[in-house]
Amino acid sequence: MTQKDFWRNSKVAVIGGGTFGTVLANLVARNCQEVRLYVRAEELARQINATRTNVEYLPKFELRPNVAAMSELPRALEGGVAAVIWALPSSVCREQARLMAPLFKGDEVLLHATKGIEQGTMKRISEILREELPCPRIGVISGPNLAEEIARGDPAATVVASVFDEVGEAGEALLANERFRIYRSRDIIGVEWAGTLKNILAIASGSLDALQYGWNARAMLITRGLAEIVRFGVAMGAREETFLSLAGVGDLLATCSSPLSRNYQVGYRVAKGEPLAKVLEDLGTTAEGVGTARSVHEFAVRRGIDMPITEAVDLVIEGRATMDETVQRLMARSSAK
Amino acid sequence: MSNGANGSHPTIRFQSVPVVEGRLFDFDKIRLRVLAEVLNRTVETFASADHLDHLLGEALYLERVRLKREKPNLFTRSRIKGDRALWSQVRGGLLQSPVQADRKALLRAVVKHYVEEIGGHFNPKTYRFATSAVPWGFSWLLNAASVRHFLPWGLTQSLESRLRIVGEVPALQRLSRQGTILLVPTHQSNIDSMLVGYVIYLMSLPPFSYGAGLNLFSNPVLSYFMSGLGAYTVDRKKSNVLYKETLKNYSTTILREGVHSIFFPGGGRSRSGAVESRLKLGLLGTALEAQIGNLQRGVEKPNIYVVPMVMSYHFVLEAASLIEDYLAEAGRHRFIITDDESWEPLKVLHFFWKLFSSQSGITVRVGKPMDVFGNFVDEEGRSIGPNGTTLDVRRLLTTEGELRSVPQRDQEYTRELGARIAERFHRENTVLTSHLVAFAFFETLRRKYPELDLYRFLRLSVAQRALPFDEFLAHAASYQQKLRAAADRGELYLCDELQGTDVRAWVEDGARQLGLLHDAAVVKVREGAIWTEDMTLLYYYRNRLAGYGLSLLAEGGELTGKPGQNDSKGFLA
Repeated sequence: MTQKDFWRNSKVAVIGGGTFGTVLANLVARNCQEVRLYVRAEELARQINATRTNVEYLPKFELRPNVAAMSELPRALEGGVAAVIWALPSSVCREQARLMAPLFKGDEVLLHATKGIEQGTMKRISEILREELPCPRIGVISGPNLAEEIARGDPAATVVASVFDEVGEAGEALLANERFRIYRSRDIIGVEWAGTLKNILAIASGSLDALQYGWNARAMLITRGLAEIVRFGVAMGAREETFLSLAGVGDLLATCSSPLSRNYQVGYRVAKGEPLAKVLEDLGTTAEGVGTARSVHEFAVRRGIDMPITEAVDLVIEGRATMDETVQRLMARSSAK
Repeated sequence: MSNGANGSHPTIRFQSVPVVEGRLFDFDKIRLRVLAEVLNRTVETFASADHLDHLLGEALYLERVRLKREKPNLFTRSRIKGDRALWSQVRGGLLQSPVQADRKALLRAVVKHYVEEIGGHFNPKTYRFATSAVPWGFSWLLNAASVRHFLPWGLTQSLESRLRIVGEVPALQRLSRQGTILLVPTHQSNIDSMLVGYVIYLMSLPPFSYGAGLNLFSNPVLSYFMSGLGAYTVDRKKSNVLYKETLKNYSTTILREGVHSIFFPGGGRSRSGAVESRLKLGLLGTALEAQIGNLQRGVEKPNIYVVPMVMSYHFVLEAASLIEDYLAEAGRHRFIITDDESWEPLKVLHFFWKLFSSQSGITVRVGKPMDVFGNFVDEEGRSIGPNGTTLDVRRLLTTEGELRSVPQRDQEYTRELGARIAERFHRENTVLTSHLVAFAFFETLRRKYPELDLYRFLRLSVAQRALPFDEFLAHAASYQQKLRAAADRGELYLCDELQGTDVRAWVEDGARQLGLLHDAAVVKVREGAIWTEDMTLLYYYRNRLAGYGLSLLAEGGELTGKPGQNDSKGFLA
């Protein structure tokens, strides 16, 4: 049996029926036999199966026939699941992994698509999953992947990174199609940090737009923002060139330019003067960048890593500085190197 | 756990431990089969390579360079002659066309030559003799050495009080019956091999096989013992892939045959004196390979268990030449020590004399047993996963539904195992009083001269290397606090003395024991001052506590990694 046959005949579980989880489930469904989409609410699972769409997150998007939603985890993982795709928000990753540990067998390939870190410990999602689950073969999916565009079938590409080559190969076999390309990488540290850190810049980008600044300002933000996230990433053990890939610059350009991004919306509305709590409540879903800005800023201060934009974002969204004075302070920084 | 050296198990009794037979006892029966298998596997690996000419040519070049540097002596002459004959045959062959001289036959000849050099023997008689002679020799030394002391209260002198074996002894004993053990000790001194062999015997374990440097086999007495005790030869001077692959296959094959083995995963003795944090993964990978082979063949006891072992000495015979080598290497003047003091019989005698005459001791800690991935194992030898899960090793070795080796995957697993062992080495380390005295003194001095780099610091004048003793005691107490906190976090163990509150007592004990062996005093306490006569040796002994981030903590910094990963500002790279 060739590798392709193996994946074509495999069963895959997708944990997390949010927007991106749903899109990933449908992508994988083209390349494998059966996809179980795990969602927490029983009602939602029933609705998905009845209407063949994820009514809550992607109402106009029709699911392939071999995708079945289910709300009981043991059922989703039973009977020899070969790969698990993990699409939960970073804040619940550890607790959920802990609960699910007994259901994993150890031979699953685990791919996560969570762009965030654990607050406090600064651990990457793959580190958390490795600590809590019995399957060591873990990878990350990250890139410029606005879910709605992939759902529409626009051309797009992503990076699958893992220290295990076979995880990258599995990711490619499961996700690739004529409208979706996969690039493989071994620098999982870099890919995870790039995906996490760009959320901070997405907030900043939204804020700049709120002030109606033009392209010069955005280019300045993206370029100088990239410089500081590279600095941070390298300090965490990432490879510099990873930040020039789809998972780095690629993701940064997409997220900073698209008003669809939740982080962008947070930045935009906070800069317009709305309080953070209200914005988050309105959005209903998570904006990873908010927590990330907080933890990364604190950590960078302790380690002496210079991150002026991250600091500014943290101060503004926490309401500790106004947009006007922040912009002024950033522009007046000494020693423009 | 902060109860330190006591561990949870009683010290092993010493006097007459019956010899336990094991797989190695039949070794001569399986030896020929093992050698043939190693030969075939190795030839098979390379036979299909279309660059066989290139491989042979590269090996030829490296071997000729090596042979040019060899200076034959009485004991090595015949071996070197054999090597030369082989390689001139290969050279002649490579000059001919593949039709005239079959490349595969050349390959086979080379590998066969290596297999015969590597392949060990085991002689039960030698083993019985050695295990009874060693304690006898030790007892004799002990009594002779202690004549110089009038021991208070008729303190019974026994080896027991000098060699403390603590840690997971029962687990190791149990697992040695449930699978094959790969013991991975830290490596500071050539004494280690003797010590480990003896400790294994004391724990009532069957004898283990191990790789010993080829140069040691030049010594006829050692050679007699070592080859009779199940050692196989490892020649670190042979750097070509054909040799390395043959060696790996030998190791894999004996593990698959169920022969318990020992590797020193640091590659050689620790040059800096630090607990090893970078390991050689080549040989380590053979554990995983043996495990896969066993599972594929469906043998009854397929599991290989990796058990770390950490030895703590107050003084190390070769300290001076090791640290010199380390500093030269750090300064980019690499050289390989071929001769040092460790095998001069008088020096070895001197070492044991000091050990026995000084009320000093060696602590050996058996670490928690792990599987070939670095997961801990439970009582029955099953791998423990996160959150109370039990791992099926088979599943972790299954790729696309099939149990098989996958080189890149296995390399990554082995890298993780290496990282786990390095972490366990640090966590299972028992800190002795002398280690802390050396560390605290070195660091206290260093804080007085923050502007100096290591090399200038090591050249401080005699006057600059002294501190008022009372001032030092205060610093020592503060380092002891840091160390206790580290012990509470499970990052290391403390010896009994360091658990007490009498700072002066442990400092004096440590100062007395530290580097006792050397002509220069590593630290000296007199007339209210403490100083060192040898900064380089002090640095060596201080390094035992490098990597824990203790000096970072002392200066108000924070830990940046697991034990072993915390660098103290370039003073130990």
